[in-house]
Formats: sequence, C-alpha cells, structure tokens
Amino acid sequence: MTGAKTTKTTYAGTPLPEVKVFTERLLSAESTEKVLNALIILKHVRQINICGETLPLTVKSGPNTGIPVNHPERKVIKVGDNEIELTKLVGGFYVELNGDADVDATVEEIRKVCDKLIKTGYSLEVGRYSKYRPTLTDTLRC
Amino acid sequence: MAYKRQFYPGTTIPAVNRRRYLDPKQNLKKLRDIAMDDVVRIMGHRNPGEDYKSIHPPLEEGKEPKCPVRELVEPIEGAKKGDRVRYIQFTDSVYFAPISPYQRAWMYLSRFRGLDTGTLSGRQIIEMRERDLEKLSKFLIDSETFDPALTGIRGATVHGHACRLDENGLMFDAWQRYIWDGRKKEVVYVKDQVALPLDRKISVGKPAPTSELLKRTTIFSAYTGGVDMRDDKEVTAYGIRIHKLRTLAGYQPFNVKGV
Repeated sequence: MTGAKTTKTTYAGTPLPEVKVFTERLLSAESTEKVLNALIILKHVRQINICGETLPLTVKSGPNTGIPVNHPERKVIKVGDNEIELTKLVGGFYVELNGDADVDATVEEIRKVCDKLIKTGYSLEVGRYSKYRPTLTDTLRC
Repeated sequence: MAYKRQFYPGTTIPAVNRRRYLDPKQNLKKLRDIAMDDVVRIMGHRNPGEDYKSIHPPLEEGKEPKCPVRELVEPIEGAKKGDRVRYIQFTDSVYFAPISPYQRAWMYLSRFRGLDTGTLSGRQIIEMRERDLEKLSKFLIDSETFDPALTGIRGATVHGHACRLDENGLMFDAWQRYIWDGRKKEVVYVKDQVALPLDRKISVGKPAPTSELLKRTTIFSAYTGGVDMRDDKEVTAYGIRIHKLRTLAGYQPFNVKGV
C-alpha cells in the first residue's frame, strides 16, 4: 500500500533500500492501522507492503464449508486517505524508501515509531527483501 | 528376563515432563473443570442430552461370532453399547504448549484403552467410541496437558501451531473458534471444533503465564527461555542411537552388535 491513491504494489525498477520490520506477535487490525498511519507519513517512505497470516472470508474445508468465518480482525482500516480491507493478521512490514533517502536517519525514524507502537517486540533489518520489477507472475495476473 | 518399563531418558525439564506424562502411574493434575455438556458442545458431534447413535446392536445381545480375541479383550463401554466412532483433535503451539502431538500419541497409548490416534505436524487426533471419547476429552481439557491459549480444539483447518502468537498470547486460528475475553482475562470458545457458531460462549479459563508453561512443557526448543535438546546429553545420545541403528539395520536393530 502506498501514500498515493493505490493499494497495489508498484515497482520502482531499481532495488531501492527496504526496511523489514518483523513483529514478535501477530498484530491486531487496530495496531496495524496505527503502525501504518505512523509509517506512511514519514518523508522518505515510498511504499509499504505487509505480510502475515491470511484470514479467510469463508470456511474452506470440513462439514461447514462455505459458512462465513466472521473473524473480528478482518475489517476495513483507514490508512492515510485510503480505506483498506485487511485480510491478514499482520506480522511484518516491508517499508521501501525513496532513492534519495538518508537511510540511517529514516531507519531511526521507523525505529522510533515501532518502539512506540509495537509493544510486544519486533526486529528490524535493512536490505532488499522483495522484487523491484514485474516478473512473469505479474503478467499472468493481469 | 523381566524388564522394568522405562519411559524417556534425560534430566532436563521437558524430558522429566515427558516421562511423567507417559507414566500411567502418575496422575495428571486437574487445573479446571469444564462442564461435560460444554465439552460435548465444543466437539459438535451431538447435542447435550441427545441419545447416542449406534452403528451395531449392543454386544450383550450376543450376536457376535465366536472369537478368542473377543473373549480375551474387555470392550470399552461405548463398544458394548454399539456407539459410533467420533473424534476430537488438539493443536499444540510450538511456543511451549504443555504437550506436543508426538508425546500426545505416546501418552494416549500408554494411558488409555480403546482409541486410535494419528500424529500430524501440529495436531493430534483421537478416534474413539462416542461416550468414551467425551469422557476422555473432558479429562484432557481439564488436565495440565491443556492450556486455553496454546492448545486448540480444532477438527479441521488446524493451521497455527507454528505461527507467532497474537497480541493477547493466543495461538493463531484462521477460523477464530476462540477469542480473548479482555474483561475476564479468559479464553472463550465461540465456535465448535469445525467452526459452527455455538449457542453461547464457553469459557475454558485463564492461560498459564510463560514462566509456568516453561515448567510444564514437553517441548525442547532453542527459542528464548526453552531447553535446547542438545543440552540434554542423555536425550541426544538416545536420539543418535536410534538414528544409527535405523541407518545400519533398518527394522532389525537387534542385528547390530556393539552399538
């Protein structure tokens, strides 16, 4: 999800620095919303991707296949101006920085946000963890 | 030569707990008392108070063929009455649940009669005659082998045993069969084991603190606070010995001399 008007991953085409924040516990929708809103306003953040455990909409197996799960953490959250349906219990944030970012300073800002909002602990690394240009899979999804 | 039965090697906490859970002469501690009707509701096979359905006539009607094994083995109550075979399945979190699936299999076969059990990566199923299964399920849920937050009763979609816990310390459940009651600080079941919503919430009590779980668990783990299996020399030697015998002789370890 981005600070712009889209929730689709956009590729920079070059391997920009990425900050991986991996939480010790899976975060509730409320906590996820707070973290995303605090990260998205940082100056050099280009894009944030989230990962976690998928919350299915319906029961997919067993004798009650098809009935709704109604998981209390699967709900719409507001990130910036966008309303997003959260489909995961989030356990990680991949924060991509702009090419002109002062990486060390931005990482410190991200660390401050995480210290304040992720009370159950987290780890933070800087590197490149996801692809930065479209691959065959993206073509097939179109 | 008469052997004295041995259960598990080792001196560390998980090894001692494994030995204790496996030994049928050791009583499991009772930590809670969930009503039998509530256990039946969570299992979801019949409504509380409903008659047991049967798949064959009671054995006392005497229509069984003559068989020396039948005469030798005392049937359990459900078999005598002709009950259906039903199941319950427990999922155990890797974050120091009191017991893990493999030890469940050992424990069940060491302590109880008349059941079939299957081990999978994070879950353990018990199949048994219905009325006996209900009693056994209540016994297990009430006992120290169950923790409300780290043990799940899940008939299907058991995924979660190796996931991180949520902010309240509950094992992940995609079907959200149980929730955290923040006011009472208890875990509450809102669905049965196959995700059918319950008529009313069923509390299974407060989760144990991590410090207590570390004393109760059978799980060796290098994760913070745990005991690394390699730190227990006797357990390590036992594992290596089995591995070596299996490698050298397959299913004929008695043919390997001097190991």
